Amino acid sequence: MRSWWQGTRLVAERGLLENVRSTTFKVVTGLLLLMSIAAVTVPQIIGNESTTYTLATNGKAPADVVAALNAAGKSAKFTVKYVSREDAEAVRQAVRNGDANAGLAGDTLYTEERGGGTFPVVVAQAVVSLETSRLLAQAGLSQQQVAALQSVRPPKQVTVGRVTDEGRAGVGFAVGIVLYLALTFGGTAIATAVAMEKSTRISEVLLAILRPSQVLVGTVAAVGTVTLVQLLVLAAPLAVAVQVTDNIGLPPVAAGDIGLAVAWFVLGFVLYAFVFAASAALVDKITEVNTAILPVTMGLVIGYMLAITVVMADPGGGWSVAVSMFPFTAPLAMPIRWAAGEVPIYQLPLAMALTATTGVLLVSVASSIYRRALLITGHRVKLREVLGGRATS
Amino acid sequence: MGLEIREIKHSFGDLVALDGVSFSAVPGVITGLLGPNGAGKTTLLRIMLGVLSPDSGSVRYDGRSVDDEDRRRWGYMPQERGLWPGMPAGDQVVHFGRLHGLSRSDATRRAKALLEELGLAERWKDRTDKLSGGMQQRLQLATSLVHDPEVIVLDEPFSGLDPVAVVSLSETLRQRARIGCTVLFSSHQLDLVQDLCEDIAMVDRGRTVLLGSVARLRASSGRRQLRLHVEPSNRDWLSAYPRVTVVSDQADDLRLEVPDGVDPLDVLDAARAGGRVDDFGLDLPTLSQLFLAAADRPLDQTVVS
Repeated sequence: MRSWWQGTRLVAERGLLENVRSTTFKVVTGLLLLMSIAAVTVPQIIGNESTTYTLATNGKAPADVVAALNAAGKSAKFTVKYVSREDAEAVRQAVRNGDANAGLAGDTLYTEERGGGTFPVVVAQAVVSLETSRLLAQAGLSQQQVAALQSVRPPKQVTVGRVTDEGRAGVGFAVGIVLYLALTFGGTAIATAVAMEKSTRISEVLLAILRPSQVLVGTVAAVGTVTLVQLLVLAAPLAVAVQVTDNIGLPPVAAGDIGLAVAWFVLGFVLYAFVFAASAALVDKITEVNTAILPVTMGLVIGYMLAITVVMADPGGGWSVAVSMFPFTAPLAMPIRWAAGEVPIYQLPLAMALTATTGVLLVSVASSIYRRALLITGHRVKLREVLGGRATS
Repeated sequence: MGLEIREIKHSFGDLVALDGVSFSAVPGVITGLLGPNGAGKTTLLRIMLGVLSPDSGSVRYDGRSVDDEDRRRWGYMPQERGLWPGMPAGDQVVHFGRLHGLSRSDATRRAKALLEELGLAERWKDRTDKLSGGMQQRLQLATSLVHDPEVIVLDEPFSGLDPVAVVSLSETLRQRARIGCTVLFSSHQLDLVQDLCEDIAMVDRGRTVLLGSVARLRASSGRRQLRLHVEPSNRDWLSAYPRVTVVSDQADDLRLEVPDGVDPLDVLDAARAGGRVDDFGLDLPTLSQLFLAAADRPLDQTVVS
């Protein structure tokens, strides 16, 4: 006897193949991959780019200053270009005209009004260091002693992200947007698939062979897998990069947040996918699909708006707790609240369990609507037509 | 034995779609479920296939109630195309074969043989929406036959087909019946399919109005018509047959209804005695005529088995 899963697997397999073979899938996935790689590599390329500063000097730049600045440049990733001027006034003019970032003439250091960053400070430090060394040597210290003094370095600076820092809240915000878009796009894809199968009467043939729940779960699994793959394509390089390097501009806790977002996507998708599918079964023509799913997309928009307004404003407040626990808003609100670091640990599995249970319950309701609505053609089906009638097994 | 429909009733709200329809379809015979649009044919087929549940009544096969597993072995072709537009033709047939329980290799082998038989072998890799309407119809047929079903159910298969396609589809169905399949199809084009059906169940407004063998129904209807091309237009010889009625008399063409008990050959002899007969023929009533006559009568007066 053929099992329920076998038929469902065949429906999912066909849907998956059709999606993966489509040009849309290839283009969108390629773009997502590019976006993700760019998000990882561009900041590094920009961060690693060597900066060149120009120093104007009165006459040829002193060799010890050049040596000191070149050494500093090696460790701080900058290079220095030297331009010589005839006198102090010419040095000043060079800085004023923008030909140099700083100018050194005697005991005067000319700096730009704006910009230049830390370069003038580095030059000043080099000059002070050289003068100090000279005075120390004059005072009778040996060359080794002077070198030892010069090798003193300030403590290494390590940036530590706080749990509730702004960077992590930003990750939560980004996760919220991506989840909202993924649920909307995935849900629309499911609705389109269902409406297409109804309008081309494929559903009728399928229902003569399979149970409605098999067709429904198979279709949702196919589109869900495709959307999940695309989400992973977007998220995986970022999550890996966060783990292996601390230099991509994301706080170190973000990898966990991204992983959790993927889990929430699966839950949110299961929940909303069946509602999208049941709504799409009400259409008569495929062109009506957007109107049919409008109530569902509106629900998602409201959920998202609540998530970014209520939860981001006060992650620990009572409303935030409610929004992040309610199954239809939890997939959007909980990841944002979690990223804000305000979730007691028990609430996360509880919200996940509530969402998953609601999703499973929705399968039977959606299957019933789906089966009844699919056989009513010639006009757009009203919900009461399929909810009020007899059960059709 | 075979397929048995027993007292099926079904309503959509207040609208009674089926009001106790019963008939049977036996293996090796092509059975037509006939009736005008809105008679309840599609609803009945959907109930047989388990897509809809009846309010009451049962569908039986080989003497027992059918279940989902039985239905998996049946083939169904819906009234409108049920194919994925972007899927290659061959893949489509293989997929349906697998849905019906075939292995991938068996489904592929069967699909290739079937598309060859239906003249679509060259279009294996073509997208379905690139095929003509007639080709899509044949592809749809292939998806319903790929698993060698014992029972083949087709909803309005001849609707929209050109005469060549009608002949081709008819031959395919006859071939399946010859090898022992139970073939049941619905149609509202009664006269188009009267030569194909061996048995019919005629429904109207959710009720069975005519049931049985087409040949017997037509022969025993008492509505035989004698067609004569006779000249001159002397009709005096007709007075010897008071039970024979004139259906039409235009120029030299005379059409007479010959009731049971009157031998049409005697009438022909009388006509020849009255004048020269250039052409003649005995027409049995068409299914349309039988339907019109039967639609207002209770079933028990018209059943011929």
